[in-house]
Amino acid sequence: MKLLVVEDEVKTGEYLRQGLAEAGFVVDLATNGLDGHHLAMTEAYDLIILDVMLPDVDGWRILETLRKSDMSVPVLFLTARDSVADRVKGLELGADDYLVKPFAFAELLARVRTLLRRGSQAVAPDRVQVGDLILDLSRRRASRAGRRITLTSKEFALLELLVRRRGEVLPRSLIASQVWDMNFDSDTNVIDVAVRRLRAKIDDQFETKLIQTVRGMGYVIDEPEIDAPA
Amino acid sequence: MRKVSITTRLTLLFAGTSATVLLGLGILISKSLDAHFASEDYSALEERIELIQKTSIESTAETLPVKLETALKNYPGFIAQVTSRDRGIVYATEKFDFVLPNTIAKTTKRFEWTENGQKYRGVVYRSPPGSRNLGDLTILVGLSTLIHEHFMGSFTYTLFAFVLGATVLCGLLGWWAARRGLEPLRAMSNRANTVTGSHLHERMPVESVPVEIADLAHTLNAMLARLQLDFQRLSDFSSDIAHELRTPITNMMTQTHVTLTQRRSNENYRDIMASNAEEMQRLARMISDMLYLAKTENGLNLPSSEDVFLDKEIEALFEFYDALAEDKIVTLSATGASVIRGDKLMIRRAISNVLSNALRHAHPQTCIRVQILEENSKSIINITNTGDVIPANQIASIFDRFFRSDKSRTRPDSEGVGLGLSITKAIMIAHNGAIGVTSDNDKTTFTLVFG
Repeated sequence: MKLLVVEDEVKTGEYLRQGLAEAGFVVDLATNGLDGHHLAMTEAYDLIILDVMLPDVDGWRILETLRKSDMSVPVLFLTARDSVADRVKGLELGADDYLVKPFAFAELLARVRTLLRRGSQAVAPDRVQVGDLILDLSRRRASRAGRRITLTSKEFALLELLVRRRGEVLPRSLIASQVWDMNFDSDTNVIDVAVRRLRAKIDDQFETKLIQTVRGMGYVIDEPEIDAPA
Repeated sequence: MRKVSITTRLTLLFAGTSATVLLGLGILISKSLDAHFASEDYSALEERIELIQKTSIESTAETLPVKLETALKNYPGFIAQVTSRDRGIVYATEKFDFVLPNTIAKTTKRFEWTENGQKYRGVVYRSPPGSRNLGDLTILVGLSTLIHEHFMGSFTYTLFAFVLGATVLCGLLGWWAARRGLEPLRAMSNRANTVTGSHLHERMPVESVPVEIADLAHTLNAMLARLQLDFQRLSDFSSDIAHELRTPITNMMTQTHVTLTQRRSNENYRDIMASNAEEMQRLARMISDMLYLAKTENGLNLPSSEDVFLDKEIEALFEFYDALAEDKIVTLSATGASVIRGDKLMIRRAISNVLSNALRHAHPQTCIRVQILEENSKSIINITNTGDVIPANQIASIFDRFFRSDKSRTRPDSEGVGLGLSITKAIMIAHNGAIGVTSDNDKTTFTLVFG
């Protein structure tokens, strides 16, 4: 997967590149609008992350030219101004998603993955699995090591989200929005408690802990690697 | 084009008005004087006619001129002519050397004519047929108006001089009055010049200005008061922000500096980074909350208008807070239902903040009750928790930004940044609603009223 990041703030751009590269993407970084414009029009990317406030050719222009030349590459734009007009403008010009600075990197990563998954998503599987934890999505049942686990519907939804995105660190705000439809900064404590209660049912009686806390970022479900810190 | 000043306008108005009035009056007087002179002249002329008629009855054609001469010599300025149908002109005064136009003589009794540049008034009389001695007589008398014209001429001259003088005087008076009248405005303008951001307490002088301007002064003062309040809020807000930002930044800075003084294990670095990430998330959250609050308070976040089922919203929020409530051994219960028009996301956020606050302060093994009512076509949500009461002296400031019930204690992470209830209040106001709180007997109730 090849991404283009257009960001004139050098430090931010570098960190974005590093973070995305470490998440397994091939990343090109353009630190000005002109280069960004050129790269976007000539190279083939799976996704473009675009800062709209650029000193020379601004993000809107790049987005406009892209869409005018019928390139449907998904575009996620970054903006420091959280105004409705800005967001509407971006989406009208054909952007697929946006993030307001400052944003959590985990959030960006989650959105990037969602955009990349969009369209290429095959028929939803009936069963998803992490280690010996199996979710039967059609019957909405969970079991681990053959033992049935009783979950409330929201607990199941939370677990499903984590499992579907196994290996991705999901920030609390994303979890609140996806599971409970709380699309604003709400009480993050609620997510911690909910995850703790889920853990009690999923992990407490087992040697290998699947749900992991990534301090300062969020939660992830995965089979622990041997050298990974707890 | 530059506007004409009030002083100039008033001056011109005064001068113009007085000139018009005085001129009108003058014209009226001269007209009636003229009419008066005319009627005096005519009655004098008619008396003369009578005299001539009497004299003519008693005389013959030969004696008439002598008799008339004697009778009329006491009346200077008169001219007269007596014509008999049979004998022609029987008598004419000395200056009577002109011929009357026939039309005038035959049709009118009183008339005016001009002869040799001299204006005359005249009366003609025809004696009925069958008079003795002289037969049918036509008597014509006239009077020069020269004396009257002299009088009227000097009258008009005086009048114009007077009008001119009075106009100038009134103009001056108007100018003076306008300047005097506008003096308070100048005083207010001087006062307004002293008002600046740091001198917003200055007010317009209300006592020393006339009633008409006092109104304006009151209005301006009210405006200044509002501005001062807004300004105060803004500067409070800025200092709040500075204060609230300082704490997490100090934490991060200290922690990072301490870490950098020595080599540490990877584990250690990871810890520091994570702790910094948490602090920064709090900062980011605070910034976005403050922006949201500022926008909502200033009407930049315009709520959309859709049907919001309050019971459904409460239900969704209960699902969200369910785990947290169970964890604290608090039960959640809701009664009632209502539909309002509003912005679903904003309303959910507003209620969420109150619920979160209620949960935070609820005692274990109690119940948080949410009651949805409809009263006087208004929808009301009461959210009651059992817990420590809010001290009476803090009730008023509970909706203030960054309000904390205990200033000394550091806030637990769950508590957010202290903007929740302010945001709720701003959202309620954006929906033309209101929020209130009562707290006693271990019960705290927040009341959200949707107008």
